This record gives sequence, C-alpha cells and structure tokens, in this order.
Amino acid sequence: MTDALYRDKSILVHAYLDGELDSANTLAFEEQMSSDPELAAECERIKAYQDLVRKHFPRKEAPAGLRARIDAQVGAPRPAVQHSWRALAASIAVTAVLASGATSFILSPEPTDKARDAIVAAHIRSLMAPNPIDIASSDRHTVKPWFNGKIPDAPRVVDLAQASFPLVGGRLDVVAHTAVPTLVYRHAKHLISLTAVPAPGRSDSGTASQSTGGYNILNWTNDGITYWAVSDIQSTDLSTFARLFRVTQADR
Amino acid sequence: MSVVDIRRPDLMFPDVADKVHALPISERGKAPSKTGDDKRSFVQLVLPHLGDAHSLARWITGDRNAAEEVVQEASSRAFRAIRTAADASPRAWLLTIVRDCAYTWLQKNQENPFTRVDLHAVEDKQPGRASACNSSDATIIARTEAKHLEAAIFALPAPFRETLVLRDMLGLSYCEIAEITGGSVGIVMSRLADARDRVIRTIGRKLS
Repeated sequence: MTDALYRDKSILVHAYLDGELDSANTLAFEEQMSSDPELAAECERIKAYQDLVRKHFPRKEAPAGLRARIDAQVGAPRPAVQHSWRALAASIAVTAVLASGATSFILSPEPTDKARDAIVAAHIRSLMAPNPIDIASSDRHTVKPWFNGKIPDAPRVVDLAQASFPLVGGRLDVVAHTAVPTLVYRHAKHLISLTAVPAPGRSDSGTASQSTGGYNILNWTNDGITYWAVSDIQSTDLSTFARLFRVTQADR
Repeated sequence: MSVVDIRRPDLMFPDVADKVHALPISERGKAPSKTGDDKRSFVQLVLPHLGDAHSLARWITGDRNAAEEVVQEASSRAFRAIRTAADASPRAWLLTIVRDCAYTWLQKNQENPFTRVDLHAVEDKQPGRASACNSSDATIIARTEAKHLEAAIFALPAPFRETLVLRDMLGLSYCEIAEITGGSVGIVMSRLADARDRVIRTIGRKLS
C-alpha cells in the first residue's frame, strides 16, 4: 500500500471515530476495518487515546473567581448563592421552558399525546430524509460524545448489537421547542427511534404501549427521563427492545 | 375646531409625545431597556461556555492565570459584540474570540516558538500511521498518566494543539473548528490526524 493511501485511510479512521462520516461511508469503513486488522488496531489506538483524554481532561467549569469578575464586569445579575455552572445552565433552561408555555407538557405529570405525536412525527420525518440520523456510528463511544455540547445531558447509550438491535446512530429531534436526543437502532430492516425527553421530578414508571398510524410506541420513565421507542416492528419485538434497553448497563 | 391627524399620535397625546421624542429615531418602537437585553443575551449565550473558553485559553497560553486574563478580555469583547453572536453556535462564536485574544496575549507576553513554527515544514513531513513508527497498543496507551499526556499535547505546534483541544477536549465538530481557526475542513482533518499521531507516538515512546 502506498503512503498516500495509508494516509487517506488514517484520516478516515479519525473522521469515523469523530462521527463525521455519513452513514454510507460509515458502513463502508466498518466493512473495510473488519477485513484489515492493522486498520482496526489503529482505530483501537486512537480510541484508547480519546478515552485517555476524556479521563484526564474532562470538560470543566470556569474558576469561580473568574466567573465572579466577569459577572461584575458586565453587571450581570449575581445569584445570591454561588451556583454551579450546571445549575445555572439548568436554571436558564428551566426558565426558558417555563417561559415558552408550549413546553409545559414536558413537565406535566403524565407523558401526553402531544409529546407522542411530536416524537412519532420526528420518526416518520427521519425515514423520509436522505439520512435518518445526524451522526452515523455503531459505536456508542462515538454516539454519546456527539451529543455533548449540543444538549445539556447526553443520553444513556447502550450496545444491543448482540441481541440483534445494533446501534445505527443518533440525531437531535425537537419536541416542543426543546432539542432532545434520539438514538436510532436497527432491527432486521427496520429502524427504531428512541427519544429521551427530560422529565424532571416524574417518578419511574413501567412500559406503556400504544400504536398510531401503523407505528408501535412504547414509553417509560426512568431516572427523570421519559423514553419513547417508536418503530414499525412488531410490538412484541419492540417490547423486547425496551426491556433490553432498560436492563442493559450503559458502561462509559 | 382643530383637525386631528391620526398619523401624528404625538399631537393627539402630548404626554406621550414628550417621551417618544426623547428617544433617538432609531430607538423608537424598540424595547426600552436595550442594555437589559444585552445582559440577558450575554448570560444565555456566553456564560454557559466560560469553562470551555478557559480551557481553550489555557491550552493555547500554557498558563492558568494567563488563561483567566484572556477569558476576561474575550468576554468583555463578546459583551460589546453580543448582537453579532451566532445563534447557531454561540460556543463556537465565543471560542473564536477567545482564540484571538489568546494569540494576542502570547504575542505580547512571550516569544513563543510554537506560534512562529513554519507550518509548511511541519505539515510536509506527513508522518505515516502511528503504527509504522511505534506499535504501542491500546492497552498501553490507556495506562498513560495525565502529566505525560499533558506534556505530549503541549509539545505540539500551536495549530495542531488548538485543533486537537477543540475536538478532543471540547467536542466541537470539524465544521465548527474550521470556522474558529479560519481554515477548511480538510485542513482540520489533516491537522487533527497529525496531532493525534504525534501525541500517541510521544506517549508510546515514554512508556516503552
């Protein structure tokens, strides 16, 4: 193999791990990797390096003193208590949610028809788009970080490939003016959209099932997040998927 | 009997007229408290990203205190220009300003060999795959200590280091990085591949 070819492939490994390849190229690359152990080893090395960076240099908040000086500089209203950044960001988000009014159903005690309709619409829309996903990857370590920086909390991502529900990728959907993460899994030739809608304060619930317009829908709440699984697969298969997702640990 | 001209509300309502005319023409009809809006935008668009701003500034300047100085300067610039903030990605917008301030600080405060590196000379070397030079495997890489990783990253020439930091530590997309550093996505891709190869080789050497 020539140096130039080496180099092209090497750059592709990076783009693959960074989730910057579209779905067609991702599949082609994964295929290529399965028949090229050296390329697979290179991929492992870069992944190990990325994990190392994440472990040693996680994203941090600015030093408190700096923030206080910047607040004073612009005369930004200073909260009485020293909030953490996350709390501040969350309070802004909550204010926005409360202010918009339209989003109230997200905070309502029960998952509503409106939320369901928005989520099913997003699933159907995704099937019509040239690409059902924004980030194509079967690797949860690629999909999860992609959400970081786009939304406050990246979703729980689990690997169910062994159970014939391989991860295909993820995308951002908008439910009531709020960006929410959707994971896309595949079963046979069908896609499953799994949308995670924040539901602060809502208690955990079992799986509820319904169907609309030929799509089966399951929803359940866990750890303050309501999950919606939408697909045109058999409802029994979808239940299996939901059960596996709930019991499988998301390792980091 | 006077004719009331409905196009002149100021004549119909003299009290209001005083207030309306007190504002410059460009401000009429707008929200009364513009600075309040600016502050709100600043709180929403800039404040959530101060941590990332500080991190980028530290990796560029190599100095924690300098990074605070840089972020303070950058946020005051951001506040003055808050109306030009990109709604699509306020974080990338802020980091563009931070990067600019950080390099200005470097120029003013120290002779940094990394900032004056001849890019072509560096990029022409085109190292092959990391494996070609060093076959440290993934499990060995995983055991690297923080200080060795940090040293390897600081040893990178500035253009490579900033690309790596924006992607691997702050998680920006190739497009956003291209926008921030003023290059193309192609340049981002090749710099990122080079930067990671170098870091992996450096920590590999340390361990073997």
